[in-house]
Amino acid sequence: METVRPTLLSSCAKAATAAEARFRVPYPNALTRASRIFALDAGAAEAMFAITEDPWNGAHFLTVGGASQIDPDATGVDDLPLSAPDGRAVLLSAEIKGADVVVMLASSDTRIGAAEVIAREAYERKIMLAGLVLADGLSKSSVDRIVAALRPYASVLVVASENDFIPAMLTALRA
Amino acid sequence: MLRKEVNDLLTQTDNGTAMGAMFRSYWIPALLASELPEDDCPPVRVKLLGERLIAFRDSKGRYGLMDEFCAHRGVSLWFGRNEEGGLRCPYHGWKYDHTGQCVEVPSEPEESGFCGKIKLKGYPLIKVGDVLWTHMGDKETRPPEPTWEFATVPAEQTFTSKRWQECNWLQAMEGGIDSSHVSFLHSGSLNSDPLFKGAKGNKYNQADKKPVFEVSESDGGLYIGARRMAEEGHYYWRITPWIMPSFTMVPPRGDHPMHGHFWVPIDDENCWAWSFDYHPTRALTTEERQAMVDGYGVHNKYVPGSFRPLQNKDNDYLMDRDAQRRGDTYSGIWGIAMQDASLQESMGPIVDRTKENLVSTDNGIIMARHRLRKAAVALRDKGEMPPGRVPEHQLVRSAARVLPPEENFADAMKDDLRVRTGVKQTSV
Repeated sequence: METVRPTLLSSCAKAATAAEARFRVPYPNALTRASRIFALDAGAAEAMFAITEDPWNGAHFLTVGGASQIDPDATGVDDLPLSAPDGRAVLLSAEIKGADVVVMLASSDTRIGAAEVIAREAYERKIMLAGLVLADGLSKSSVDRIVAALRPYASVLVVASENDFIPAMLTALRA
Repeated sequence: MLRKEVNDLLTQTDNGTAMGAMFRSYWIPALLASELPEDDCPPVRVKLLGERLIAFRDSKGRYGLMDEFCAHRGVSLWFGRNEEGGLRCPYHGWKYDHTGQCVEVPSEPEESGFCGKIKLKGYPLIKVGDVLWTHMGDKETRPPEPTWEFATVPAEQTFTSKRWQECNWLQAMEGGIDSSHVSFLHSGSLNSDPLFKGAKGNKYNQADKKPVFEVSESDGGLYIGARRMAEEGHYYWRITPWIMPSFTMVPPRGDHPMHGHFWVPIDDENCWAWSFDYHPTRALTTEERQAMVDGYGVHNKYVPGSFRPLQNKDNDYLMDRDAQRRGDTYSGIWGIAMQDASLQESMGPIVDRTKENLVSTDNGIIMARHRLRKAAVALRDKGEMPPGRVPEHQLVRSAARVLPPEENFADAMKDDLRVRTGVKQTSV
């Protein structure tokens, strides 16, 4: 096939200049995402509540409640005790429906069973799931336990030494 | 997505900027040692961090890096005469030593001491390995000399090249920690490039195009682990270390030499992509070295007599649509280095990160930006020196290994990710 050589500056790779950059179309290139942020334990919830008042693009911040370990085999999709920041109880099925991004925050391995329930529902709906381990103040062995527990469920697992990575990550993901 | 003010903070490196101050706190690669091959050789123009400088090697073998322009009338000292222990401006004969100190002003009486009042801004220039390194920050906070393994192994075990990349340093560097693009952009080259092909790990790369990532902080930066399925439920792990501000290593393949990069700002719209290959325990073979010279692996071919890639934006990187259709290359661009550079330059001189749509697998990039921002702000506001300046942070390796599913790469590969003198790299 004969190759047609570009004739205009903007029709070839030379267009990668600052001057040409101003001709890039200004229209939005993505719709608003539906992000769901799950705090799996009390420490994670505390870190999450510190930023829920920030301006977000419709992200839902949810806390897994309940007193103790959650048995994933005995927990149906709507049996998971979930609450919104205002204390209102919500259903996992309703929250995860239509979600684009799911992020799980964990600062302990006390409710890792909830991660399996959330991951199960996300997997069925082909939703990308990220795990963020909040390592601030934790021992290495504690962090290792959380990482090992979350590894089967997260497509991406991040260990952050300080909680200020939570807003950095969620902003980058347009949550 | 990155807010504009953060994008500006991370991408601007001229003198007086936060990220510029951060880069100035490190020893950074300035020239290949081969660019100043002998005493009194021609001087070389160097632009780094938005500063136009001149490098030379004087009659006693001392390296100098200083303001390019004569203090008298602003003439470029590239036209100078490198002779008798200094660089002499050809206009009126003013002469400077390797520190930038003016040592002779022929029109003034020697006894007047006038030349002692004239000094060009100068920076130290030292040779470690194949590279001449400079520190453009305060002498009081100068870090120890570089200890990167590629620069400290015997000469026959290492090869370094550099190429001009026509975009901001950050988008180039981010390509170095973006492991997920390998299965796509470089997929053709894994089968054909002499510095990559034949490794068992390549099969895992090509079979599993949806790696799972684990990102964890290290003292000097990050470890970015990419996990792909191997046999019998085991995982094939590839670990990329990133050390602040801009050092990355590619996880190794088989017994091929290890490779990696330094990304150094020339100015805000151009950077040097430094590329190295080395083997920790053996000399590079004649075939390997020739492949590097010929532009394979992380290296490239050049416009003769320059450090500009032969494939560049003026020729559409010699796009070959037939090769793309055949699958010889995924993007139609020859060579791993230029496959990366072509796309990174296409983003524009400084990519507008307010428009990007990152996904979860970009978390290595997200964390790197976060750490860079925090380090730059801490240096600017509190004077805290950033990570990556000391040998403990620099003595790292990339590694690749197959592990049982229950093993944590950070523990299982702890030793693999450190430099161990006399021990070869951990690779698959």
